[in-house]
Amino acid sequence: MNTIRLYLRSMRMLMKCQLEYPVFFILQTLAQLVMEGGEMMAVILIIDRFDQVNQWEAGDLFFFFGIMSVTFYLTECFGRGLTGNFPSLVRTGMLDTLLLRPRGVMTQVLCSAVDPRRITCIAVGTASLIIGCSLARVQWTLLKAAAMAEAVAFGSMLILGLFAVEAVFCIYSVKSVELVNALSYGGRSACEYPIDIYPRPLRILFTAVAPFALVLHAPASYILDKPIYGWPAWTAFVCPLAGAAFYGLIYCIFRKAMRYYRSTGS
Amino acid sequence: MSYIQVEHLRKTFTVRMKREKGHVLREKNTVTALQDISFQIGQGELVGYIGPNGAGKSTTVKILSGILTPDGGKVLVDGRIPWEERREHVRRIGVVFGQRMQLWWDVPILDSYALLREIYRIPEADYRKRLGELTEALQLEELLRVPLRQLSLGQRMRAELCGSLLHRPGLLFLDEPTIGLDAVSKLALRDFLKWENRENGTTVLLTTHDMEDVAALCSRVMVLGHGQKLYDGELTGLLRKYDTSRTVTVRFENPDTVPDLPDGAVLSREGDQLKIQYAPQEIPTPELLARLQKTGIIREMTIQPQNIDYLIASMYREMDL
Amino acid sequence: MRSYLSAFRLRRRMELQYRGAMVGGIICQVVFGLILIALYRALYAGKPQAMPLNHVVTYVWLQQAFFRMLLASDPDLLDKIRSGSIAYDLCRPVSLYGFYYARIMAQKITGSLMRAVPMLVFAALLPDGWGIAPPSSVPGLFLSLLALLLGLLCVSALENITMAFTMRTLDPRGIQGMLNLLMMTFSGNILPLTLFPDSWQRVIAFLPYAQLLDAPIRLYTGDAAPSEAVRILSVQAGWVLVLTALGVWLWNRHQRRIVLQGG
Repeated sequence: MNTIRLYLRSMRMLMKCQLEYPVFFILQTLAQLVMEGGEMMAVILIIDRFDQVNQWEAGDLFFFFGIMSVTFYLTECFGRGLTGNFPSLVRTGMLDTLLLRPRGVMTQVLCSAVDPRRITCIAVGTASLIIGCSLARVQWTLLKAAAMAEAVAFGSMLILGLFAVEAVFCIYSVKSVELVNALSYGGRSACEYPIDIYPRPLRILFTAVAPFALVLHAPASYILDKPIYGWPAWTAFVCPLAGAAFYGLIYCIFRKAMRYYRSTGS
Repeated sequence: MSYIQVEHLRKTFTVRMKREKGHVLREKNTVTALQDISFQIGQGELVGYIGPNGAGKSTTVKILSGILTPDGGKVLVDGRIPWEERREHVRRIGVVFGQRMQLWWDVPILDSYALLREIYRIPEADYRKRLGELTEALQLEELLRVPLRQLSLGQRMRAELCGSLLHRPGLLFLDEPTIGLDAVSKLALRDFLKWENRENGTTVLLTTHDMEDVAALCSRVMVLGHGQKLYDGELTGLLRKYDTSRTVTVRFENPDTVPDLPDGAVLSREGDQLKIQYAPQEIPTPELLARLQKTGIIREMTIQPQNIDYLIASMYREMDL
Repeated sequence: MRSYLSAFRLRRRMELQYRGAMVGGIICQVVFGLILIALYRALYAGKPQAMPLNHVVTYVWLQQAFFRMLLASDPDLLDKIRSGSIAYDLCRPVSLYGFYYARIMAQKITGSLMRAVPMLVFAALLPDGWGIAPPSSVPGLFLSLLALLLGLLCVSALENITMAFTMRTLDPRGIQGMLNLLMMTFSGNILPLTLFPDSWQRVIAFLPYAQLLDAPIRLYTGDAAPSEAVRILSVQAGWVLVLTALGVWLWNRHQRRIVLQGG
């Protein structure tokens, strides 16, 4: 409980910091809009040109794009300490300062930054979700809402886990950090579209290694009433747990890496 | 049992060298940061920890504060092993790095303190009382609502100190706290540290290059070099040992007076002043003064020990650091 | 001229240092390329287009290979402007615009060539329909190389302009961020410009962003026949002139301000 309160307090203060520079903040937020708007425009243009892919139609495609976009940018917004700032924490020695406080390192890393500029990206994603729902005529039920919430929650854990891999690389001072980007940003790009359109190696990569397909696509296709691979409905609720499992695994590795960090110094 | 107990502490670092042409593997070099350090510090002591750059001072501090795990040796702080019970341990220590800020840059320092309160889980009443006490002692009342970035360096250091003492740590590590500060801020900081030590019995370990800090604050110093402890004891003892040269400046009524000096004293003339350099171990000071008084009527006279920084430098030189 | 060359060389040496990062970057870029191609293959399987799939695949690979050329910002240089240590450069007896132009260009050339060569080799080894196709014709290849050079000049000039803005606002991320993102969309990095609606393409093709990589790629794949080359190259050259002139003008204006600020 106390941890959550600490997190909320940190968030409030960091927001305050950001708003100290309003012009900069607005410009940045607009830049984010341009970015995610560009991504969404690509989807619109693709739908305009190709109409559909496999059995997925326009509404479905908007929905898939939207759920990924919302999940990814919510994570980037509230998990900024891990998704963006970790390398600089190590470089500036801030990580040492975090170790001097009686709280878990991961908690403090997550408390160390917030990125409210992503709000426009989240808005674009939400718009896409709404368009998708109305085009695909989604009939909402309580179960579907639960599936949606689960997808977003566990999706965030998966994404945090991927960025924690990057943090681990960073602690061991491995230079090829961009390798992890292939999984995190690559996963985002690929899984903006349903997984079953891809050839087998990519399907395996984003199902078994970085399980975006399990976490997002299983529930999304359930909501759209077009279960992916014809999977039964319960999979929509069980598969997303893979996100938590992934995060748990990487968190253990992260702890091990922190032990290494503490025995080598910075 | 002592408050801090360190026995046979060792730490080496592996430094990866740049891969050279023709070599497949990168060479690794080990650097010994600490070899076999032992000491004890009692509760309420104010200890200066000095040594040239790279001597292993900050490695020691990092180990004592639980950031680093040593390769060997025993460390107990207040009965705990720092790196094994990190959270319990850091709840009871405060650390101030002179060159690194832990407060948040863009918000009023009061907000930073409120967050620190949350982090250390300090009860509200306790926090109020402590904050009042510290802001008064550090003269921070008027600065509490000002964002950190608008404060001067001296003000910022005071704010940092307040932040790291809010949770009433029993042990305070200070790493170069006066670096870059002006004279007034330095004096205020020293007064505050004395106050905190006296009033709350806080044990302080001060790492610094500023010998004036040490002279003003610490009765005990430890000198570290090449990862080994070279001296541990009173500062005056250290100074006496290396106080190899003093200077007497003297002005006689008659500027042409030439004193009769014992062997080993060096005389130089600057305007109407005479400067006499001598080693106090060889020529006792009273004897020298007696001779000068016999020579003529003295109008003005000062005796100066050598500058403390020179002393330390000569000590480092002698110890081959 | 020699001082510009040495700025160029120094920067190039710095770029060469990050080899480990480069390998990671190449692999990441390759994965992105494969993902995009898989997507377009799936889309084409449903509804083939007038533009052959082969061209789209080649487009994607060339975009990925030269991605570094688009990617702006020399963080050192931006830090320099913000921290005021640009004052040292102001003391040098060279035109600042030229000096930074050389620096930016060096970074772009080494950054993109060192990534492009291994990536293109890899892409050429892939089976047909996944890998890059050979150029449509020999003249097409030479013309596209020429267009690539003009594109490089164009993007360096663009970046110099954002740099000039930075000198004024002292914070690069606002304007620069926005321009970069526009560049990603309208240079064909997110979606090949050839897949944009035809009516849009007629306008977008004249924007400066289309001159960077889209123009050379079209000449390479043969989407633009060598006979159209004169028109394409002159649009490019026109933008180079306009952007360079604009950059010089902005630099001269803002440089004076920086001096007044006292660095």
